Amino acid sequence: MSALIVKIISFIAPLFAIIVLIRAVRSMFNGKTQTEIWGYIQTDEKVLRITHWENIIGRTRSADIHLSNPKVSRVHAVLIRTAKAKWRIFDIFSKGGVRVNGDPVGASGYPLNDGDIINLSDVSVRFRDINERQRSEIESRRVVTWKNVHPAVTLLYLSVFQIMILLEHCFTAASENVPEIALGFVLLILLEWFCYFLMRSLRKTGFEVEIIAFFLSTIGLSVIATSVPTEIFRQMIIVFAGVVAFFLLGAWMRDLDRTKTMRIPAAVIAIGLLAVTLVIGDVQNGAKNWIFIGSTSIQPSEFVKVAFIYVGAATLDRLFSTKNLIVFIGFSAVCVMALALMSDFGTALIFFATFLVISFMRSGSIATVALAVSGAGMAGFLMLKIKTHVAKRFAAWGHVWEDVYDTGYQQTHAMSAGAGGGLFGKGAGNGWLKDGFAANTDTVFSLVCEELGLLIAICAVLAVLSLAFFAVRNTAQGRSAYYSIAACATASMFTIQLALNVFGSVDILPFTGVTFPFVSRGGSSVLACWMLLAFIKAGDTRKGASFVVKAPDAKDKEAKA
Amino acid sequence: MRKVSLRSSFALIMALLVILGLCIYIIRYINHGEEWALYFDQATSSCTYTLTDRNGVVLAKMGNGEKTYAEDADVRTACYQLVGDYGGNVGTGALSSFTKELSGYNLITGIEAQDDVDLSLTVDSKLNVKAYEALNGRNGAVIVSNYKTGEILCMVSSASIDPNNPPTEIPDGAYINRCISSAFTPGSVFKLVTLTAAIENIDNLYQRSFTCNGSFEVNGLTVTCTGTHGTQTIEQALANSCNCAFGQLALELGADTIAEYAAKLGLTSSHQLDSITTAAGNFDKAEANSASLAWSGIGQYNDLVCPYSMLRLVSAVANGGTVVEPSLLGVSDTESEMLKGSTAAKIASMMSYNVTYHYGESTFPGLKICAKTGTAEVGDGQASHGWFVGFLDDDKHPYAFAVIVEHGGSGLGSAGAIANAVLQAAVND
Ligand SMILES: [Zn+2]
Repeated sequence: MSALIVKIISFIAPLFAIIVLIRAVRSMFNGKTQTEIWGYIQTDEKVLRITHWENIIGRTRSADIHLSNPKVSRVHAVLIRTAKAKWRIFDIFSKGGVRVNGDPVGASGYPLNDGDIINLSDVSVRFRDINERQRSEIESRRVVTWKNVHPAVTLLYLSVFQIMILLEHCFTAASENVPEIALGFVLLILLEWFCYFLMRSLRKTGFEVEIIAFFLSTIGLSVIATSVPTEIFRQMIIVFAGVVAFFLLGAWMRDLDRTKTMRIPAAVIAIGLLAVTLVIGDVQNGAKNWIFIGSTSIQPSEFVKVAFIYVGAATLDRLFSTKNLIVFIGFSAVCVMALALMSDFGTALIFFATFLVISFMRSGSIATVALAVSGAGMAGFLMLKIKTHVAKRFAAWGHVWEDVYDTGYQQTHAMSAGAGGGLFGKGAGNGWLKDGFAANTDTVFSLVCEELGLLIAICAVLAVLSLAFFAVRNTAQGRSAYYSIAACATASMFTIQLALNVFGSVDILPFTGVTFPFVSRGGSSVLACWMLLAFIKAGDTRKGASFVVKAPDAKDKEAKA
Repeated sequence: MRKVSLRSSFALIMALLVILGLCIYIIRYINHGEEWALYFDQATSSCTYTLTDRNGVVLAKMGNGEKTYAEDADVRTACYQLVGDYGGNVGTGALSSFTKELSGYNLITGIEAQDDVDLSLTVDSKLNVKAYEALNGRNGAVIVSNYKTGEILCMVSSASIDPNNPPTEIPDGAYINRCISSAFTPGSVFKLVTLTAAIENIDNLYQRSFTCNGSFEVNGLTVTCTGTHGTQTIEQALANSCNCAFGQLALELGADTIAEYAAKLGLTSSHQLDSITTAAGNFDKAEANSASLAWSGIGQYNDLVCPYSMLRLVSAVANGGTVVEPSLLGVSDTESEMLKGSTAAKIASMMSYNVTYHYGESTFPGLKICAKTGTAEVGDGQASHGWFVGFLDDDKHPYAFAVIVEHGGSGLGSAGAIANAVLQAAVND
């Protein structure tokens, strides 16, 4: 009887997973791109809109304020709106120079006020600021995003999905573990609804990335429930802490100036953490990347991921500063080398790939060369350092079925168990892979395939990818390059991690043993994922959507008061 | 900002690559999923199933955390290699080979972890017990099938063990099913191959007479016979199992022709018994006009044959030249022509003549048996392997069989007696 119920649920649950995913994605990509407007540039012929906080003025097609006059340099100047709604202009590599009302402007910038005349070489334009009242008027005409796809309904579907997975566990788990598993799932459901009402009370409408994260956390919780049921309460505490960290980091990043001032301290803390790990860290599974404090173990490299993006992202004016670039390259090199010394190949690879993404997104002219050179240097060091570790794994890659009890052990067992699940799975708690080595981290994709089925596992992969697509789409309306770079770097980091985890475990890529974002067991990893999510949240500039993004009307009220 | 935004497409490309990777996985899953899923013994570890013989006697049962074998110790021992064990010691055992059937696997629903699966084998465990008793501690193999339906009714390999009480010292070869995984020197049963080649290649075979003086010389070497048979027809030569007659036929036919027939009759290649791959045999082509060639034509030299291949051969002879592929899972639906109908009929009548003329019908009371013995010399001063292969020419009981007793001595005395015991039980059931 109970077997029949589990079977029926396992056939219905994927449907709810698909609905949740489709609704979240529809909500993310609903409607046309609508830009925010922050000011205008008047030329002799036309009026150009300023749609970001940071804008490149120049002749290049990719300039935000595009002037076709041949006297203007390709990248002539950068126009930036600072935190207190003041504007500054910076001269960047221009041949003909920049003057404001006749005064020359240097690389350190020059304040701009409404009505100022800017001379770019001998092209003269007028800068028009807009006040907060005009801003909120424009803002009010932007589309409200959740009209079609109400997040509460999506959340309801998600809750039903969670209850179904819980029910499966109730039928399959050992009876002494059932209360704890039930408590874990109920707490997760309460937490997500609490977050939803918190958002509503803040008058924020965007809830898609949170829903995606809660969906992935549900699968993660199921993995814990089946493999280490006694840890489920601990896992819920970590998710709770992750959500708190997500809100705190998001709130912190509302103020870009404040965010920027903490970049150097963040870098120092990150390097300090890595140094401490190198000195007092413990070796587990060949990598010296654990610190034990009493009975709890933490993986500092996971938190360094957050710092890496925090430090790596930069505002547009800074992108052209050599000093800023050198700091970033130095920081990246130290991180990657420290990880290589710890023999944490997987994480080093993630850092290196993310470094390349950030480099690519920030690269200007000289910068490209410098980054390429340092990138190659780092890659070389990485290969030299980890050669022996990697050689074995690369040798096994593509040949795992030839050595199923040694180098191919984890992958072949994972593929076998995963294929045994079919499309709908054997039911949560019914698999055999859960008892295998590192099944709830390294080969978690196959564990999900086996118990919840290929359909739900694919949903989990697509859920992570939806975050990436969302981050990329948001860059088009990004306020600051800092937010855009941070969001895309996070998206890339998630994507790389996902690819290494999933494809490593099924022998499409070499096996590196990294975690599946939000799903793999591991407190540090889950906590770091929630913090990273704040970067993606910060890139969302749809009207009134993200709590990380300040709404102009709120500011207007402050001004009136 | 537009520049940053354009560059962000890099992240997009990575996401698309992941989707591509996912597609690769799905394609591989469709192509290899079954192979992957059933690879390890764990495949069926979470399943609930019952494996029975054709009469519903439970051979193995798994579920609710319990793993059991047949209740009766004799059944467990007699069916050990057929069933295999939960430790996967017998690679060809049903528990290891029929994981797909036992686990109810398919691509959409995967392995059936929740439903009860019942799988019944075609074997009759009573016949297995009978055959194991008849082997009486000697190493050997007994395999009986229905040549019209392909169902295997009896499949026993000895030495064997009781999986519930395995001895501390496992007897040599207890983990091997000799019926399908071993190849032995065939001795005179191989004369059926030389005979087939002769029938189809020598026009005046039936008009010829074969003289046996107890031995003959080839290139200075002597090929000996088991007796001095005088002048014989081909029928008598087969019944006498005369080495002189068949040795000379082999020389006349040549190594290429005999090798061709050994392959055509399926003795040198391996076969698929359901999902089990059986052992291949061997036939080395000896030099023309050599004693080795003569010996190879009478089942010695380097000749090796798997009992299962022998069963297929006699099944085809019994069934008018067409072999219905044997199966352990039910009535077979694949058949193919192994030899010409007319040839099969001639061989069948000669095998019948063997029994009436030489072996004696009284040895097989009540059975319309057609058979060929083999006494394969294995050298080293050890007793010969005794073979007995054939079939019942009986529409009600269309059974083919192959029996071998290692170092059993005379084929008729050792293997023939076992065949009689098992067939009596099968017919009088
Ligand atoms: Zn003779």
